[in-house]
Amino acid sequence: MSNLIGIVNYGVVGNIYNIRKAVKVAEGESFLVESLSDFKKADKLILPGVGSFKDAMEELERKGFVKPIKEFNKPILGICLGMQILADVGFEYGKTKGLGLIQAEVKPIICDSQIPHMGYNTLEVLESNPILEGIENEEFYFMHSFEVVNYNNISALTTYADHKFVSVLCNDNVYGVQFHPEKSRQQGIKLFNNFINLSND
Amino acid sequence: MKTRIIAKLDVKPPFVVKPVHFEGLRKVGKPAALVEKYNTQGADEIFYIDIVSSLYRREILIDEIKRASNASFVPFGVGGGVQSVNDFSNLFHHGADKVIVNTFAITENKNIISEAARIFGSQAVVVNIEAKKNYNGWECYTDCGRIPSGIPVLDWAKEVERLGAGEILLQSVDADGRQRGFDVELAKLVVDLVNIPVVVASGAGSLEDIATLIKEARPSGVAIASLLHYDKFSIQDIKDFLRL
Repeated sequence: MSNLIGIVNYGVVGNIYNIRKAVKVAEGESFLVESLSDFKKADKLILPGVGSFKDAMEELERKGFVKPIKEFNKPILGICLGMQILADVGFEYGKTKGLGLIQAEVKPIICDSQIPHMGYNTLEVLESNPILEGIENEEFYFMHSFEVVNYNNISALTTYADHKFVSVLCNDNVYGVQFHPEKSRQQGIKLFNNFINLSND
Repeated sequence: MKTRIIAKLDVKPPFVVKPVHFEGLRKVGKPAALVEKYNTQGADEIFYIDIVSSLYRREILIDEIKRASNASFVPFGVGGGVQSVNDFSNLFHHGADKVIVNTFAITENKNIISEAARIFGSQAVVVNIEAKKNYNGWECYTDCGRIPSGIPVLDWAKEVERLGAGEILLQSVDADGRQRGFDVELAKLVVDLVNIPVVVASGAGSLEDIATLIKEARPSGVAIASLLHYDKFSIQDIKDFLRL
C-alpha cells in the first residue's frame, strides 16, 4: 500500500525543508505538492506554516488548491499556520476566509505576557487522538502570535501566562497542531510517525 | 514558562569561533558537528551567526547553513549579513526557522523588519542588538560589535518591537566572551521595556551567572557559547542546575 505524504507548497513561506527532514527521520516518504495533479498522488497531506493567514490563503486560492484540500478526504495535518488556516476565518492583516475544515476563528493571542508565545510548553489533553499516542505528556515547541478559537474538535489545550488556548485539534481525519513537531525533538518525530501510520481510509 | 537555553555558534566559515569582546577569534570546531552535539545535549534552540559576512559585505554562505541545520531538530536561528527579504526567504528554504538581523536594519533600512514580519510572521524575525555601554547608557553597535551607530539601545529595542520583530537577541560587546557574568542591569532594562521575548547572551562564566541573570532579569531565553564550546558544562548540566 502506498503511503506518500504530500507537503503542500504555498509560496515563499513555509518551513517545508525542516518538515521533510523530520518526516524522513520518522520513516515516511514525502514529496512537494506543487500542482493540482499532485493531490491525487498523495495519501496524506501536511500543511506547513510560517507566514500570515492572509498571504497563505491568497496563495492557496491563486494556485487553485483550496478545493482539492477541502475535498481530500484522507488524513491532513496542519502545522502552526497550517492548523490556523483550517478554520473558517482569520483576522491577521484584515479578515480572510480560511479552508473551513474546522469551525473556528483565528485571532491574536491576548494575554498578560510577551507575544509571540515562544518556547517549549506542555499539553493538557482533553480528548486524545491517534497522532498524540505516546507523547501526551511531552513538551513541544511553540512560536506564534495568533490562536485558533473553537468550541468543538478540541484535543488539547496549552496554558501560557494563565491564558488557555487550543494547541491540538482533530475533526475526523483532519488534525491540527499549533506547535512545531519538526522542531520538538524526539516527541515531534514520534508525532510525525503517528501521523504516517494512520490508516488512509 | 521555562527559560530557553540556547546554544550560540559564532561562525567564521568554515569554523565556529569564539571571539573575546567580539574579537580575537579562536577556532572551536565545525558548525554541523557542534549543532549535532548541542541538539543531542538537549539545547532548546540553536543560533548560528556568521560573524564576518556583514563586515566583509559578502553573501551569506548557504551551503554551510544547510549542512549545519540538517543536524538540528530544535529551532534553528540564522543571522549574519542578512540584507533583504529575499535573504530571509532563502534562509527559511535552507533550514532556518528564524532569521536574525542587525547591521542592515540599523545602517540601511529598518523597514526590513516590518516587511519580513509581514511576510514570514513576527515569530520568525529576530533582531540582534549588540550593546556597548557608554557615558550615558548603552549604544547599539553593528558589524559584530565593531562600529558604533549612535542609536541608544533602549530606543532601538522599542522601535524594533513597534516594527514587528518577534524576538530580541541582546548581546553585550563589553561582556562577550569574557566569562565574567552577564550585563544584568542592561538585560533587566530591555526585558522590562518590551513585550516581545528577549534572549540574553554574552558573559556566562558559571552556572551561578546564568541563575542570577534569570532571577534578576527574567529573560525568555539565555544564549550560551564559551561555556558549552569548551565543555565546561553541558546543556544538561545547566538545566539540572537551574531545575529546568
